Order: sequence, then C-alpha cells, then structure tokens
Amino acid sequence: MVAQLLDVVSTAAILYAVAAGLLLVFGVMKIINFAHGALLTVGSYAAVVAGQYGLNPWLALPVAAAVGALLGIVIEYFVVRPLYARPLDAILATWGLGIVIGQLLTISFGRGVHFSEPPLRGVVDILAVDYSRYRLALIGVAVVIGVGISALLSRTRLGLDTRAVIMNEDLARGIGINSGRVRFITFAVGSSLAAAAGMLITPLSSVDPNMGTPWLVNAFMLVLVSGSSLVSLAIACVVLGGAQVLVSSYVSPILGGLTIAVLAAIILRVRPQGFAHA
Amino acid sequence: MLEPPGSEAMLSGSALQQTRGRLLPVLAVLLTCLAVVGIAPYLLDTYSVNVLTRSLLYACVALTVDMLWGYMGILTFGQSAFFAAGAYSAGLFFTHSGFGPGTALAALAMGILAAIAMAVIVGWLAFWHGVSELYASVITLVLPIVCTQLLYSGGAFTGSSSGLSGFESIDLSVEAWFWTAGTLLATLTAAAWVFVSSDAGQVLVAIRENEQRCQYLGLDTPRLKILLFVACAVVCAITGYVFACYSMVVSPELAGFVFGTELVIYTVLGGRATLIGPVLATIAVDYESAQLSGDYPFVWKLILGSVFVVVIVAFPRGLLPFVGDLLRRATAAWRGSPRASTADLPIIDVLDPAEAIGTSAGSGAALRLEGVAKHFGSLKVLDGITLTAGAGELVSLVGPNGAGKTTLMRCIADGLERSSGRIEVNGHDIGRSPPEFCVRLGVGRKFQTANVFNTLTVAECLRIARARLDRPSVFSRSRLIRLPPAAYRTLVATGLDQKLDSPAGILSHGLKQALELTMVLALEARVILLDEPTAGLTKEERAVIGSILKDLVKVDGLCVLLVEHDLDFVRQISSRVVVLHQGKILLDGSVDEVVESHLVKSIYSGAGHQAGPT
Amino acid sequence: MTTPVLRVKSLDSGYAEATVLHAVDFELQQGEIFGLLGKNGMGKSTLLKCIMGFLPKTAGQVELDGLDISGLPPHLIARAGIGYVAQEKALFQDLTVEENIRIGVRDRPIGVALGEIEASFPFLLKRLGQRAGTLSGGEQKMLLIARSVANGSRLLLIDEISEGLQPTMIERVASILINLVEQKKTAVLLVEQNIAFATQVAVRYAVLERGEIVSRGYANDPSAAGNIAGYFSV
Repeated sequence: MVAQLLDVVSTAAILYAVAAGLLLVFGVMKIINFAHGALLTVGSYAAVVAGQYGLNPWLALPVAAAVGALLGIVIEYFVVRPLYARPLDAILATWGLGIVIGQLLTISFGRGVHFSEPPLRGVVDILAVDYSRYRLALIGVAVVIGVGISALLSRTRLGLDTRAVIMNEDLARGIGINSGRVRFITFAVGSSLAAAAGMLITPLSSVDPNMGTPWLVNAFMLVLVSGSSLVSLAIACVVLGGAQVLVSSYVSPILGGLTIAVLAAIILRVRPQGFAHA
Repeated sequence: MLEPPGSEAMLSGSALQQTRGRLLPVLAVLLTCLAVVGIAPYLLDTYSVNVLTRSLLYACVALTVDMLWGYMGILTFGQSAFFAAGAYSAGLFFTHSGFGPGTALAALAMGILAAIAMAVIVGWLAFWHGVSELYASVITLVLPIVCTQLLYSGGAFTGSSSGLSGFESIDLSVEAWFWTAGTLLATLTAAAWVFVSSDAGQVLVAIRENEQRCQYLGLDTPRLKILLFVACAVVCAITGYVFACYSMVVSPELAGFVFGTELVIYTVLGGRATLIGPVLATIAVDYESAQLSGDYPFVWKLILGSVFVVVIVAFPRGLLPFVGDLLRRATAAWRGSPRASTADLPIIDVLDPAEAIGTSAGSGAALRLEGVAKHFGSLKVLDGITLTAGAGELVSLVGPNGAGKTTLMRCIADGLERSSGRIEVNGHDIGRSPPEFCVRLGVGRKFQTANVFNTLTVAECLRIARARLDRPSVFSRSRLIRLPPAAYRTLVATGLDQKLDSPAGILSHGLKQALELTMVLALEARVILLDEPTAGLTKEERAVIGSILKDLVKVDGLCVLLVEHDLDFVRQISSRVVVLHQGKILLDGSVDEVVESHLVKSIYSGAGHQAGPT
Repeated sequence: MTTPVLRVKSLDSGYAEATVLHAVDFELQQGEIFGLLGKNGMGKSTLLKCIMGFLPKTAGQVELDGLDISGLPPHLIARAGIGYVAQEKALFQDLTVEENIRIGVRDRPIGVALGEIEASFPFLLKRLGQRAGTLSGGEQKMLLIARSVANGSRLLLIDEISEGLQPTMIERVASILINLVEQKKTAVLLVEQNIAFATQVAVRYAVLERGEIVSRGYANDPSAAGNIAGYFSV
C-alpha cells in the first residue's frame, strides 16, 4: 500500500518533470514540439557519456541542460520560427527533426542499449517499506522544477511577459512585449528541461535511440489535458499517472502503458478544457 | 435525382458528353498503367518485383492519407492501424483456422468490420462540433499506439512482438502478386481521381477550406468526415489483407505509428492533394529504402528526415507541385496562353417556384422566440428576448454596438448557442440542433463579414450551396446549377452572373456580399438572417440589395430578419423594426413608431440628423 | 511649426485583391484629440493596426515625433510611446487591475506609474487586486485608458471606446480624455462611429469612407455636424 502510494507519487513526479518543458512551449507557442522525445533521448545520452568519462553523474545534468538549450535555439530559429503561421506543419516538422536527431544518435552510439548508474543508490526505509532513494529524490526534483518555473513566471519581468504572451500574444505585442524573444527563450528553456528530464530518467531503465518516443506520447497527452496551467499539469500527472500505476499492477503492464493516452483522449472528448479551469 | 423538365433534357446530351469527356482520359491513363504493370515483372529482377509489390500496396494506403488530409483537411497518423486490421485478420484466421475459401472470405470480412469499428470509434472521438484540428490528429496518433500494444499483449494468439508467420495463404506466383498489387493501386488511384474531380470531391475541399460555412449551408460535416474516414479505413483493410496473403508474415510494426507517420511523410514529399505525388513518393522511397537497407540504413533515414523537414519549411505544397510549377513555367512560352474554353461554362437553371422543395412550412409563424437568453458567465448578452415574425415580413434589428444583435442571429441559426429559451422556425423547435440541422428547418444565415469559399469559383460556391438539395455526383462534374428564382434574381441584379468563373477570393467586397446572399438564397430557406448586408457597399449596390430584399418578402414570401446600422436603409425597406439595447428588446413596432420614439433617440445620442450614429 | 506627434503620409494598405486603405494622409499635434469617423468596414481599425505595425503597408509612411516608425514591429512602436486601446480583447481578463497596468510599464517603477493615474482614476487604485474580467464594461474601458496613461504614452490610439457604453459612462470617458489632454498634453486619435461623442471631444476630425479620407474639418465648425452626418446615411 505504502509502496503503491510512493509509486504513484514518484511516477507523477517523473511525468511532471518530463512534461513541464512541453507544457511551456505549448502554452506560449500553441504547438506541440514533437522533437521533445528526441531531446529527452539526447539528455539520456549525455548521462551515458558522462558515465563513460567517469564524471560525477550529477554533473551530467547541467551538460544535458546546456546541450538541450543549444539544440532548442537552433530548432526554434531554423524550423519553428518560419512555420509560425502553420502550426500543424510546425508539429510535423518537429517530428521530422526528431527522426533526424534519432538517426544522428544511432549513427554515433549504435542501436544497442546503454545503461547508466543512478547518482543515488540504495534504498530508504519509509514506513517499514524499502523504497528506491533515487525515485524519492526525483519527487524532490519535480517539486523544484514546478516551484522554480512558477516562481520565474510570477516574479520576474520575463515571466510576466511570458504569461501575457500565453494569454493573448497580439495584445502582449501591442503593449510593448517582444513576443518573438519570449518564444525564443521559451523554446530554449523547454528543450533544456526536456534534455534534463531525459538525463534524470536514464537510471530508471535503459537508453536506446528510440526511448524518448513513448515518453513523448504520454507527455503530450498530459499537456493537452492540462491546457496551459502548471497546476493542472500536476493534477493530471497525479491522476493519470496514478491510473497507469494501478492498471500496470492489477491488469497488465502493457495495457498500463496505454492508460494515460486513452484516458486523456476520453477526458478531452468529454470535457475539452481537460483539467484546466473553465 | 430530380429531372426538371425542359432545359435539362436538352442538356443531357452534352452533359453526358462532358462525363464521357472527363472519364476517357482517366481510362486511357489507367489502361496504360495496367499495361506497364503487366510488363514490369519481366523487365525487373525478382528481388525488385518483391519489394515493389510491397511498395505498391503501401502506396494504396498513402492514397488514403492524401484523400483525408490533402482533400479534406484531416491529418491522420493512423491509417496503419486499419491496414493492420486487414493484415492481422488474414494472419489470425489462416494461422488458427487454416486456409480455405471459407476462411479467406471470413478473414476479409472480419478485417473490414474491424476497420469500420475502429474508424467509427475514432470518428466519434475526433469529428465533432468545435473539435480542434490538433486533438483530431492526436487521436489518430493514439489509435496505432493502442493497436500495437494490444497486439503485443496478445500472447501466442497474436504472436506478440514476433507476429504471425508461416501460415498458408493464396498461392500465386511472384508476378501474379505484383499484378494484383499494381491493379489494385492503379484502380484505386483512378477511382480516387474521378472522385476528387467530381462535384462530391469539391465538397471535401469546401469543408477543408471553410467548415463553418459548410455547416451553415446545411452540410453535416462531422458525418461526412466519418463517412470518408470509414471508407478509407475499408480500403486500407483490404490492402492489408492482400499484403498479408502475399507476404505471409504479419508483425505489430504494421499497426504502428512509425509506419503511419512514414505515410504522412511520403504524402508531404509527394505533394498534398495531388494523389499521384504521394503514390509516386511512397513507391520511390520504399523501394530505395529496401535497396539501401543493407548498406546505409541510418544515413538513408537521416537524409529522408532532413529532406522532409526542408520540404515542410521551404516547399509546403510538396515536391511534385514544385516540379510541376517549374515545368509549367519552362514550357509556358512554348505552349502559349491557354484558350478560355467556352465549352466548360456553368449553366444556370432556374427552378420553378413550385419545384423549390425548401422546407415544409410547419404550423405557426416563420420565426418565434420565447425568453431567449445568452450569458457568458455573469455577463448577460441577451435577456428575455421574445418576438414573433411571419412570412412576408422584413424585420430590421437595430441597436447600438454591443446590444446583442449578432448574438441573437447566432442563436437563431445555431441551437447550441443560447443559454435558455425556446426558438421555433417554421413551427419546428430548433432545440439544441447544430447549424446544419437549423438549415434543414429553414434558416439561412448570412454573416457580417463575407463568408464564402475564397479558393472556389462563384459557380463552385453556388454548387456547394446547393449540395444539400441537389446531391452532388461522386463521379462526374455537372455544368448545371439549379437555383430558386430569388437566388437567380440576385445573381443577375448584382452582375454575378457575368463572373461565374471568377475565384470568390478576388471579388470586390460588394460582390462577395452578394455571392454570400445568393448562396444563402440557394438554400431555399424560409427564414433569412442577414447581418449587416449593406456594410461597405456603394450607394448603387445598396439600392440593388434593398430592392432584392423587398422582393424576397413581397414576391417569395420569405421572412427576413436584418441587422442594420443604416437607419435610412432600414426605414426604406422594413415593415417592422425591433430595437435591441443591452440585450433586451426596447421597442418592437412599425418603422414610424420606432423612428419617432424619444426612447430610441435617447439611446442613440444623435447629432442633429435623424440617421444618428451608425 | 512644431513637429506633429503623429504624421501619416499617403498610407496604402491592403491584401492581395483588395486595397483597404488608400492615400490616407493626416497629422496630429501634441495635446490634440483627433476624431477619425466612419462606419463599419470602412478601414478605421485597419488604419490603427497599420500604425501599430500589426498590418503591413503597401505604400506610405508613419512618423512619430518626426521619427519614421513605418517598418518597426508592434512592440517597439508601443515602447516608442503609443498606447493602443483595441476594440476587443484589449485587457488580460485573468490578471488583476494592477498586473494589467504593470504589464505595460517598462521604464518606470510601478509606484510612479500608479501615481500618474491617481488623479483621473481614483477608483482603480482602490481595486488593484481585483481581476480585470470582473470589472464592469465601463470600468474596463477606463482601465484601458489608465494603462496607457500610467506608462506615459504620448499618443493614444483608441478604437471605438464608446461601444456598448451607457450615455453617462460615455460622458465620463469624454471628460477624462479632455482632462488628460489638457494636463499631460497627450495626443489622442479617436476612432468612432458615435458622431456626437467624437465631435464633443475632438478638435479636428476626418471621415474615412472605403479606405479614403473623404472629408475633414474642425469639430466646432457649425457645418461639421451636417457634413459628417451626410456620410452616415444613404
């Protein structure tokens, strides 16, 4: 029971960490960045490479974030910006980029599976249950990410500008906000978060060039069901992530993998705004 | 299809000729392709023939992607799921029940049924009022994911991740399979070509271009989308069945979204809405992928992905149209200017007033509103609107900006809009009917800003407007447009009859308004809602519209409800004026009563002239 | 002759098929309210959007205090000192009154900005924490003007602010605009269909019909009313 609860919370945390960057990009730019999965994978490989060089695993985090940000800047400038007026095409183009990045990774690292060691090993005794220290740490990381982004959005000038662009881009431009700059920064931050999340989830399973794709699908279903709100995203991650854990435990792990996508699709059909306020 | 007397009998000869004239070239190309398919196996090595057989079948699926996306605007990643439905049906039946004529037919039927079932579910999830394009596409992406996972979890029954193989199936030679695949592809492409060039195909484009206008012309767009989606699913299932019989191997990847997105990539590369482009692109890329799979598989995919991204960013219409444009420009000087063919001009047939089917007038007034209210949260836009209007009445709705006039129009034309109250059109309660059903009850709405199909010609716009009443043919394009007298009069009076071949997008503002009015009149509606029909019109144009509206009421006996700012125009043509202020009816009476009223004058802080601010 | 705050020179704008604005030419001085009148669809909103950089020009120039702002993106034009009060969706409904004001203020502390509006909009200062969407229609319009005053805009472009307002509210808006112009020498380009309101506050006016200026003059001229009204009827 306790273990199950911790599973739900830690799964929700991991999903939140993975989806947060995608949510930011969706809120500001109204597109789903289909390269998000590939960026996740890039972050994972950063962790693998750090491991191969014997670096402290935690150091891989800023490296992954930096690589993600750089990739994000390039993608935004060359692909997303020209497609500003064609959102569905932008989604297709980012999907194509995902393929390109995936193939580059395959060429560099081979198709084989890699592993990396978790930065935190061992278990911790919680209420007479042994639980993975690393998974618990990830809960903390998700909280930090959520609080951090919220703080940036609500307390900084850039954050205020970003919220304005999310709500009404033309109005924001009309009162002096450089929405082009906001989009650019948002995409870089979103990509950086994606890579960082990728690095963080590496120790939980294995790394191969296509690992990002299942995460991508779950992430964008969560984003669609959350609208533009970080709070809604947290709720969605808990509810749908929890459902996934329960279905995986009591029905079948394979069907568990479908839970989030199917539930989200049905929720959106019944209530198009998802978990967001009216 | 109704055969009106007279003109069509005379026309039928030449109309038939037109159909024959259109089908003949298609038939010629089809026969040529079949001939090529026939010879090809003898010119190529066995390996290539095998690979191409597969590529040809994949091209059939890509064809459905182009139909749905290029022509109807539905971006679908999930055609692979329907393909797999047919393939796995064959695989399962032949593996677990053996092979025989009975099981073969059963497998085909089951595959088709499964595809239909999935398509209906997806259709219910993805095609409904107000759905966003993104959500619809996302659902088509979730479908193949669900399918692959279900196949993985099927254990020994479905073969799990290895799939099913080694089952017995139809025994044909390599060449025969190639001919089967080639014939299937060529026939499907020819049929698709005829369909998209027909009047029904034009409806698809209209829906892609302006779905809202289609709904307000009475077309049940969600149902049409589901119909096409199911039809394409069946095609994919049949193709999948053939594939399974040929390859005798089925694996979960066939149902996956990787395959599904590859088909979208081929469609983008080849060119959306060209049919031939995606077919050629699929064959070319799939064939090349097979040839290179030993040598440079990853680099090949890298190149493909990069080309894909470049095409989307730089050549959004695809490579085939781009090449086509180059060729056209290169040969333009050589070909000379195209002759305008008079043989293809549209012909208008004016319906007998007795023939105009229209809507049966139910019991009661043409339009009755009781207690209609609309609020957004705490903001009350309309409050307690009660009014009745009869046939032969021209009611003008006036009031300052923000009084709720357009909202009232919306509520009458769309049963989903209002928050409360009852609306009856021609004695029928509109309840919560969406716009297309309100049109059937007899409402026609003309929008404030001219809402037509900009890429279609005037004639094509009118044909779409008639689509609900004159069923468009699925294989031919008719030159005939049948219009009720009111629409025909409007066409002639505004000079649109001289511009039947002009794209609607380049018409002047006044002509666009006139076109939209004609389209609405073509619906044979009994209640016409006009939102600021004179906005932006010249003095002359306004006079023309004024007399047209008066005739609608006097001659055709329609009920016309008109939102107007121009009080002089209102005074000249109305029989009755309703003044709306802050969501409530302030005054409802004759033109003189309203114009002389002090109350009305006070809400329009008029400056000396009785026209007041507009 | 001082440099006009706003100078629009031979402005053309349009889409592929249609010219929406043609050879529009006028200027505004500091401390002047200029009424731009015209019916729906005549190009008034398009003109404002062109000045703000939301719509492209096909010919002509726009100058702010003598500086050519023709090619600038909207956010830079806003920062140059133009306050745009759009007809619809001009406020962030979910943000508070204070956030709506703060969002437009970039070059001064919020305290200073709020001080600027204290005299004309005292009621807003009492409602800083209230969500803008919960204000009444008239109060929202006041907030729109206050926002531009707070960030020190030299020129206000106001698109049909009287729409949907009660006559008493329109009076309040009129007196606020007049006071504003007198005290801070702000220039106001007032786009309107409400002739009475426009001629009450404006010094000069022009009538826009089908994208062209067809009449102009002084609002207090006795013939003005009749002249204008002629364009608003058949």
